[in-house]
Amino acid sequence: MQTPQDSTRPSRLSTPSGSRESRRHTPKADMRGLYQRAIHDSFVKLDPRTEAKNPVMFVVWVGTIVTFLVTIDPNLFGTVQADPGQQRLLNGVITFILFFTLVFANFAEAVAEGRGKAQADALRSTRSDTVARKLLADGSVQEVSSTALRKGDRVKVVAGDMIPADGEVVTGVAAVDESAITGESAPVLKQPGTDIASSVTGGTRILSDELIINVTSDPGQGFIDRMIALVEGAERSKTPNEIALTVLLSVLTLVFLIVVATVSPLANYVQAPTTIAILVSLLVALIPTTIGGLLSAIGIAGMDRVAQFNVIATSGRAVEACGDVGTLVLDKTGTITLGNRLADEFIPVNGHSLEEMSQICLAASVFDETPEGRSIVWLAEKNGAEVDFKTDDAEGLEFSARTRMSGTNLPDGREARKGAVDAIRGFVRSRGGKVPSQLDEAYERVSRLGGTPLAACLNDDIYGVIYLKDIVKPGLRERFDQLRRMGVKTIMLTGDNRITASVIAQEAGVDDFIAEATPEDKIDVIRKEQSEGKLVAMTGDGTNDAPALAQANVGVAMNSGTQAAKEAANMVDLDSDPTKLIDLVTIGKQLLITRGALTTFSIANDIAKYFAIIPTIFAAAGIGALNIMGLKSPQSAIISALIYNALIIPALIPLALKGVQFRPLTADQLLRRNILIYGVGGVVAPFIAIKIIDLIIPFS
Amino acid sequence: MKLIHLPHIPKQTQIIETVAEIWSEWRRQKLPLYLFLGLCFNLVLAPAVFAATGGEFSRTQAYWLAALGLVTIALAIYLFFVMFVPEKF
Amino acid sequence: MLQGWIQIALTLLIVVAITPFLGGYMARVFQEQRTILDPILNPVERVLYSLAGVQAKENMTGWQYARAIVYANIAMALLLFLIIMSQGWLPLNPTGIGAPTWDTALHTTISFITNTNQQHYSGETYMSYASQMLGLGYHMFTSAATGLAVGIAFIRGLTGRPLGNFYVDLIRGITRILLPISIVGAIVLIASGVPETLAGAAIVPTLENPALSQAIARGPVAHYEIIKQLGENGGGFFAINSAHPFENPNPFTNLIQIVGMVTIPTSLIYTYGVFANNRKQAWLVYGMVFVIYVVFIGVTAIGEYQGNPAVNALLGGQAPNLEGKEVRFGWAQSALFAATTTGTMCGAVNSLHDSFMPNGGFVTLSNMFLQIIWGGQGTGTAYLFAYLILAVFVTGLMVGRTPEFLGRKIEKREVVLASFLILLVHPIAILIPGAIALAFPDQLAGISNPGFHGLSQVIYEYTSAAANNGSGFEGLADSQPSPLAIANGTATSATALWWNLSTCFSLLAGRFVPIGALLLLADSMSRKQPVPMTTGTLRTDTGLFTGVTAGTILILGALTFFPILALGPISEAFQIARGIG
Repeated sequence: MQTPQDSTRPSRLSTPSGSRESRRHTPKADMRGLYQRAIHDSFVKLDPRTEAKNPVMFVVWVGTIVTFLVTIDPNLFGTVQADPGQQRLLNGVITFILFFTLVFANFAEAVAEGRGKAQADALRSTRSDTVARKLLADGSVQEVSSTALRKGDRVKVVAGDMIPADGEVVTGVAAVDESAITGESAPVLKQPGTDIASSVTGGTRILSDELIINVTSDPGQGFIDRMIALVEGAERSKTPNEIALTVLLSVLTLVFLIVVATVSPLANYVQAPTTIAILVSLLVALIPTTIGGLLSAIGIAGMDRVAQFNVIATSGRAVEACGDVGTLVLDKTGTITLGNRLADEFIPVNGHSLEEMSQICLAASVFDETPEGRSIVWLAEKNGAEVDFKTDDAEGLEFSARTRMSGTNLPDGREARKGAVDAIRGFVRSRGGKVPSQLDEAYERVSRLGGTPLAACLNDDIYGVIYLKDIVKPGLRERFDQLRRMGVKTIMLTGDNRITASVIAQEAGVDDFIAEATPEDKIDVIRKEQSEGKLVAMTGDGTNDAPALAQANVGVAMNSGTQAAKEAANMVDLDSDPTKLIDLVTIGKQLLITRGALTTFSIANDIAKYFAIIPTIFAAAGIGALNIMGLKSPQSAIISALIYNALIIPALIPLALKGVQFRPLTADQLLRRNILIYGVGGVVAPFIAIKIIDLIIPFS
Repeated sequence: MKLIHLPHIPKQTQIIETVAEIWSEWRRQKLPLYLFLGLCFNLVLAPAVFAATGGEFSRTQAYWLAALGLVTIALAIYLFFVMFVPEKF
Repeated sequence: MLQGWIQIALTLLIVVAITPFLGGYMARVFQEQRTILDPILNPVERVLYSLAGVQAKENMTGWQYARAIVYANIAMALLLFLIIMSQGWLPLNPTGIGAPTWDTALHTTISFITNTNQQHYSGETYMSYASQMLGLGYHMFTSAATGLAVGIAFIRGLTGRPLGNFYVDLIRGITRILLPISIVGAIVLIASGVPETLAGAAIVPTLENPALSQAIARGPVAHYEIIKQLGENGGGFFAINSAHPFENPNPFTNLIQIVGMVTIPTSLIYTYGVFANNRKQAWLVYGMVFVIYVVFIGVTAIGEYQGNPAVNALLGGQAPNLEGKEVRFGWAQSALFAATTTGTMCGAVNSLHDSFMPNGGFVTLSNMFLQIIWGGQGTGTAYLFAYLILAVFVTGLMVGRTPEFLGRKIEKREVVLASFLILLVHPIAILIPGAIALAFPDQLAGISNPGFHGLSQVIYEYTSAAANNGSGFEGLADSQPSPLAIANGTATSATALWWNLSTCFSLLAGRFVPIGALLLLADSMSRKQPVPMTTGTLRTDTGLFTGVTAGTILILGALTFFPILALGPISEAFQIARGIG
């Protein structure tokens, strides 16, 4: 099902991750002016209607208004004992810090949105409004705007045109440049009927000939449009975990609102009264502003990261689900193996040495341009064989289904052949040669290993058996090991027989495999895993994959795949790289970990803030000894805590945007590590930071 | 002396129109309406606060204190709302 | 000193030793497996079910279960209110006690149906034997069994079973667990000197002047006493509760009382282990609570052992603080009792909590804020696992998956219910009425102590009500004043009215809102499809996660109530340390 476009000669092999890094280039997002725009936006977002969307920050917003009022008139809510001028200064400083807490939180969101927008603009540039030639029912052509196209319309595109919408090729054969979305500069051939090559994406350019395309999506409904909406955050609906977290944050905020609102009569009762501005400060310090300010930025950045991987996700929910995936269903060909069998070993027979056999294999394969032939040449050269005849005088014989072998007629008349063992056996017999019993042994050995045996001969002399092997993509085994440690099970599906499948499965290190699999098996295995409560992810490209893609919790369709597959999936990989599924799992997990880590950090911070603020503002109650940080004065303590509270937001923006570094560890190891960094660290860090701020600020 | 004919009837309709416009605007924009109603309700609440505190605060302070109390309650209701329908935020 | 610590250690050892046996037995009872009492009780239960028209095999949903609890409690509350208001005409009233005020009757009713037994009255002077036995004593069984039923339903839901049937759980809880233990316990108490009689107060001549006589209150104490402890009710037959020599005459009865009140909540954690088929997790959670419990006992006991520095200065040497304590129990058993009774939401007292050093005030308040240092009958264990769910949610995201507990995903609905239940109800039920009372200390509160201690008194009262504990810091004018005091103007009933009604709010909010939330939480957990365990799943039965849970509990608990503790016991402790107190 997979096009063998990924096939390469062994010498050119690179690790999947390495090649992915180099492929992460398109669409190029323009990041210029990002920060100026973000700064501008962070002030625009002070609009209460925008702030009300974020419960934690809205409470800060209201608090800022209140402290602003007491800056104007410190006695507004009750006569304050202290000197009004000094009081006004303190309240003014508090208002100033709270204001910037809001601005910082908005800035975090604005930066994330800005990056998303830049990404979206880059995507949108591929969507510029073009003129489409719409085919009417009577066969005439009408020129319409591409935005006026509807699902089911037929359009005609000729060389040089931009394809106006996602669609399916009905008639015609043409080369299409898809570099705008995939970054792959080589044009792709598009023709109707074939599973893979019949779907075209809007925004790509047709280079030759002409096509008639059946439009499959309304304007604004295509994959690119959905992705644009997602990365821009405009239509961002919250993911399930984000919603649950919002609940927790609003409950915590409500609890602290009640605590702070009721602490005033209590403090008055024990003759340790406080001012409204200080109570507001206490409230803002306690509510989880850190995570409250960064939560949406984390979500947007997560979508952005998916886009940077050149994957189009149709919903944030799907990205989050990637982290929860318990089972990966992977096709063998193209995903686990390179898609071609490559020579792995020469097994000489008939008393020939390895060198002799290599020489013959090389001779038989010099004209063979197939990946198999190239790999034989490569292996033979590795064994020290050299071409010892003039290739210009020699004649190459191509493989055909009838002969089932290929080879070279050497200038001196000798015939070097390689091919299916039966065919070579027949060839040798026809030349009057003998077939040694060793041949059968070697043949069986290779079959047992799941490989494909080829025999090589020169005239009537069999030299040996070439072991052609399915090559597992380098580095995959380590990744499957990592996945296993993360608790993700991998199932390989293949049309091969059991023996071959089990050898590949063992070599690749997958947990399970299904041999001789049909498309129905794919759905069955997904259903079975789901009935055990697991989330299943899979990749697919053919039309017959569509039901399975729809059934899977995370279905990733290849961009090279059919329209049906893309419709059924909830993600589309523009690079058509099936192994990217593994990266998506990592991105999903990273998204969740970042949220959890910052939430833990934010809550753990409160301990230090309590120890900074409570002893000093209730100093009249004689609990000054709890001021273990030895802060200078109540004013300094409050301002230090608030400054820390405000500055921690921009300090954590890079982490929120980049995501917490993910390591493929077991859950217990991850918990231990992250609790140590974000839990214990969250308790300790603010003690140090607040003390330092207290020493720096000139407030006494 | 010149007689000036006041366009009586048009002015009346104009007033009615203006009122209707303000009213419809209010019906559309709930927030200012609620703010206004809150401030009005506070006028009732403030004397109660003033009486309860027994002259500890001035009338203005009692009014603002009552307003602060209302804001706190409104915030609490808002947070309760977020808690039960977080999807809207 | 050593003797005191040995007493504490031995008591704890007995409690731990009982746990697996009682826990295993309760699991058998509620899993409807064969138990020793079946031959006698099965026919009895069948009759009860057919009389009540209960379909014993019918499982309830969370809503149905909660509704059944509410209906049953309303019916029982009405009955109790009527009994108390009409006790003057009812039999079993040898001392001829009339009806209390309506607000006292209302408060008492609500206090008993909520398993709180907060008493704003003196048992011997305001309640007839009929009210004590038929009204209050009856509710000591039903309210405890209600809590137990909720705990069991919650455990069932958490472990993916249907929640069960409330009426069946209620009846089985009473007939298989509370009644049998109470019968044995009451006989032991009688044998150790606790009275059990229907005769009125004994009129005896005083020792000093045989010409004068005094009335010594007595009554059917022993059977009342055992269920008071076992069901974590805590409503004493006499006003001074377990400090009274007829309720708790000697250290042996004291031991029975302590073991009695802590044994069901401790064992229920083990019962969870049986239900979940994960005894390791049960013991880990048990160990976590046990450590906090021991630390709290230690903090209280050290405070009492060291005594009051101001008093010590006068004595010229260090002496334990024995103010408000019974000498027969001493500092150690008083401290152990105080830490246990507030931790388990029993609320019985064998010493005056008001007279404890600030350490004791800190511990008793913290116990009731957290509600899980064993916690209330049934509900305590449920709270504990709700905390676990919350800890899973907060930290579970950090392993990169949607958090799961026992393979069930914690999603929006669970977070709403768990955080509402754990984080929100308590502050609302305690801080809001507390702040109102303290804003008008003279008009409403009638506090006997000014300053930090007075604040502790008020907060303690609401905390005790909201946590369904029922013990009192005392020192508040919350009782119905005697007619004599009203007549000569030394007391008014206004403060009693305020306390009765405002604590009613805390009582109801602290009982039924969490119960509803717990049942809905259990319901939604039981309906989830379990996700299989893999190495990517956060294991909740490890020491690491148990430690994380302890941290979460302490941080979330401390964050909410730290300002209160700072202004109350902590300030008081510094004050005493400075020698101003």
